[in-house]
Amino acid sequence: MSARENILARIAQARSPGAPVDVDEVIHRHPRGPIPPLEKNLLQRFGEQATRLASDAADAATMGEVPNLVAAYLRARHLPMQAICWPALAALDWRAAGIEAQVRAARGEDMVGITGAFAGIAETGTLMLLSGPQTPATVSLLPETHIAIVEKTRIVATMEDAWDRLRAEYVTPPRAVNFVSGPSRTADVEQTVTLGAHGPYRVLIIVVGDGQARPT
Amino acid sequence: MRVGLFVTCLVDLIRPSIGFAALRLLRAAGCEAVVPVTQTCCGQPGYNSGDRTAAKALARKVLKEFDGCDYVVVPSGSCGGMIRVHYPALFADEPEMRETVQRVAKRTYELTDFLTNVAKLETPPGHYSGSLTYHDSCSGLRELGVQAQPRALLAKLPGVKLAEMRESATCCGFGGTFSVKFGDISARMANNKCEHIARTGAGAIVAGDLGCLLNIEGRLRRRGDLQTRVLHIAEVLAGKDGVCK
Amino acid sequence: MQVAAMHFKRKAAENLGNEKLQRALEKLQTKFVDGRAAAIAELPNFEDIRDAAAEIRERAISNLDRYLLRFEREATARGAVVHWAETAEDVNRIVAEIAAKHGVQRIVKSKSMVSEECGLNDALEARGLSVLETDLGEYILQLAHEPPSHIVAPVVHKTKEDIADLFEDKHHRPRTTQIAELCREAREILRPGFLAADMGISGANFIIAETGSVLIVTNEGNGRLSTTLPRVHVAVTGIEKVVPTLEDVSTLLRLLPRSATGQSITNYVSVLTGTKGGDDADGAEHFHIILLDNGRSRLLGTELQPILRCIRCGACMNHCPVYQNIGGHAYGWVYPGPMGSVLTPSFVGLANALDLPNASTFCGQCAVVCPVKIPLPDLMRDLRNRQVERHLRPWQERAALRVWSWLAQRPALYALGARIAARLLRLFAGGKKRLRHLPGASGWTNERDIPAPAGRTFRDLYRSGRHT
Repeated sequence: MSARENILARIAQARSPGAPVDVDEVIHRHPRGPIPPLEKNLLQRFGEQATRLASDAADAATMGEVPNLVAAYLRARHLPMQAICWPALAALDWRAAGIEAQVRAARGEDMVGITGAFAGIAETGTLMLLSGPQTPATVSLLPETHIAIVEKTRIVATMEDAWDRLRAEYVTPPRAVNFVSGPSRTADVEQTVTLGAHGPYRVLIIVVGDGQARPT
Repeated sequence: MRVGLFVTCLVDLIRPSIGFAALRLLRAAGCEAVVPVTQTCCGQPGYNSGDRTAAKALARKVLKEFDGCDYVVVPSGSCGGMIRVHYPALFADEPEMRETVQRVAKRTYELTDFLTNVAKLETPPGHYSGSLTYHDSCSGLRELGVQAQPRALLAKLPGVKLAEMRESATCCGFGGTFSVKFGDISARMANNKCEHIARTGAGAIVAGDLGCLLNIEGRLRRRGDLQTRVLHIAEVLAGKDGVCK
Repeated sequence: MQVAAMHFKRKAAENLGNEKLQRALEKLQTKFVDGRAAAIAELPNFEDIRDAAAEIRERAISNLDRYLLRFEREATARGAVVHWAETAEDVNRIVAEIAAKHGVQRIVKSKSMVSEECGLNDALEARGLSVLETDLGEYILQLAHEPPSHIVAPVVHKTKEDIADLFEDKHHRPRTTQIAELCREAREILRPGFLAADMGISGANFIIAETGSVLIVTNEGNGRLSTTLPRVHVAVTGIEKVVPTLEDVSTLLRLLPRSATGQSITNYVSVLTGTKGGDDADGAEHFHIILLDNGRSRLLGTELQPILRCIRCGACMNHCPVYQNIGGHAYGWVYPGPMGSVLTPSFVGLANALDLPNASTFCGQCAVVCPVKIPLPDLMRDLRNRQVERHLRPWQERAALRVWSWLAQRPALYALGARIAARLLRLFAGGKKRLRHLPGASGWTNERDIPAPAGRTFRDLYRSGRHT
């Protein structure tokens, strides 16, 4: 008997008598657990939580404003004006803002990565990024600075809401769903939180659409 | 209310004044307090050491001795928890015992819980003046929900100044046989507790379990602290200045 | 990992006397205990979520085979290869075979306690493969040749000076004790490793039956890097980690980071499903998932089954006053603290870890903080029961308990025994209020006095007329 058969046999033998669960039914229904109460203003919650987790937050009324916002952010921190970005963002006028933007996956030495986001989760100030041909995961991971552009209409309350969105737009999940909540960090040295471990040192989230991403 | 007092083996053997203080409190609360005189031990040492047979033998005896009482009151969260919470588990494999065990367990209360929530003692007969700090014994706190009750009773004594210590709910390290089997760890935990007590500057440490008190007192004295008084809450509530003759 | 649980008492004693460790352990209070309390306070319906989390885990474990089969089906449909391993050796063999099959030489690892169980790194290195730990704490341990002392914060026992010394020795760079600089240094040293690796090995915080996904939580980003850059990804996990749906995982994720580190969410939560598709921009071309038993299935249907709910948050050990004072290495294996006191004897044999379930006062704080309501003290008591049933306790212990029980059933003899004992204790006390020594009780009297008994017992006084 194979290991698989042995293990499954031991499990089946140990199961207490009673009606077996209908796995398909449970999964088809996928009931939610208790959700903590959240305030109505999701944008405000999103901005507050993201800031709390050390992301920088900004908002833009339209996509057209984004390149100048990014340029100002980079200049203020004396960061290089070179970035890699996702194909969907290539059409923005980076050059006019003084930024040299290349459309490709990240390499070890890239310093700034600009991505979109599938959704933003207000409960925890989290970005949800999906991998795919047009959305290389390395762009949000290898560079020291990650800039994420998320549309206001894609900010949802909870991770459960985000799963529902995913199910509506995808048959099965893409290879990687990454929830990102701020700059990378570690607390392994004397339990002291230090920002910037193996991933980005800083994250700028730009919420696009008329409305506030920042807490007032 | 016919209240049976289960004094616990430690109180019986080492500090009977706690038992008399408990009696005084029960009578002050208007109860008919009885003491089944054949009582000895609740069976917890065997139960926690893995010897269910030994534990059951003593549990059966306790159940027989106290079944006739309306309430069973215990000046200990540890033994109180044993009867109220663990006797049902101990006899889970004996369905014929179920009724008796449930009946007695349901009527079993830790002393301060009983005085506060059942007997509703308005005025403790004791007189105490001075500062004290309170240690929350683990079983009382986590098995029986004893936390507000002792403080509510202490608040009824005008002379008491309660100074809460940090980590009042952290285990003192007694744990029954643990205190001897893992003596160095136990002593370290006791020492941590003594540090927290010392930092309050209180004149006395008070708790609801004699096991904790013996452990804490043992470490206090070895540390050279001969001043801090070590009192059971019953003694504070019932005696003159914590002394219950 | 080598089992050293039988040396618990000696190591605990050493650790109690280790000043540096004691100072390091103080951080548990502020960072983990206070952190958790603050994070939990933000959830008004925390106890409801906790009930739901316990139910989710119990539901999965009660139907483990069905959910595992569904997981296997979904994962395989997406191009992953699912392997089943009964023992640690099986895992090591399977990983080595995968490495050989794909021509792997350099491996990066994201933290995995299951891989510690298996001694995977050593097994792979023995076969000439290079394995680089990338979680900062695990990397430090790899340099120091030490095992982890905590399941979430593996180097909680080290000070920044320790780490500075280690880095200076191994990296040959100027020594720094600035925490930010130490982290930057580790980043720079490890980055090339990610880029050059052929294979990434990770654990799994959960595996999701609905989608055949492996879920990993990290803060550093090493989990994402290890599972995105190399062309082969191997995830090793215990069979008990399966969770039915995406919604279930969201419930559990509300509690895992809060219970572990006081965070509302870990920096990165990665849900990985299948292999890199034809036109995917990045990701592993080959995804292998190894499901390990190693004694877990044998706990099903026993009173110890609830331990399988464990989501490896570490809250129990953070709040355990015994762990807080002795640290994790004393427990002598992969899993320390209360959950380790149940898992270690269950996995490595009761007789090899006799002290672990006994080194507890049953204060109950672990059960209070466990996000999935595992009744840890009850499970430790069950293990004590088993030790007695299998005659693994010292005969003196059994005899003492039996004598006590025998006497206590006989009130008259008990009273006589009490009188004798009181007299003996008065003798030993020499008239003083305390004893400093008592034969057979040196565990107590080494560092504590014994308050002398009052003299007469309560029963005796009561019967002779005392009523107040």
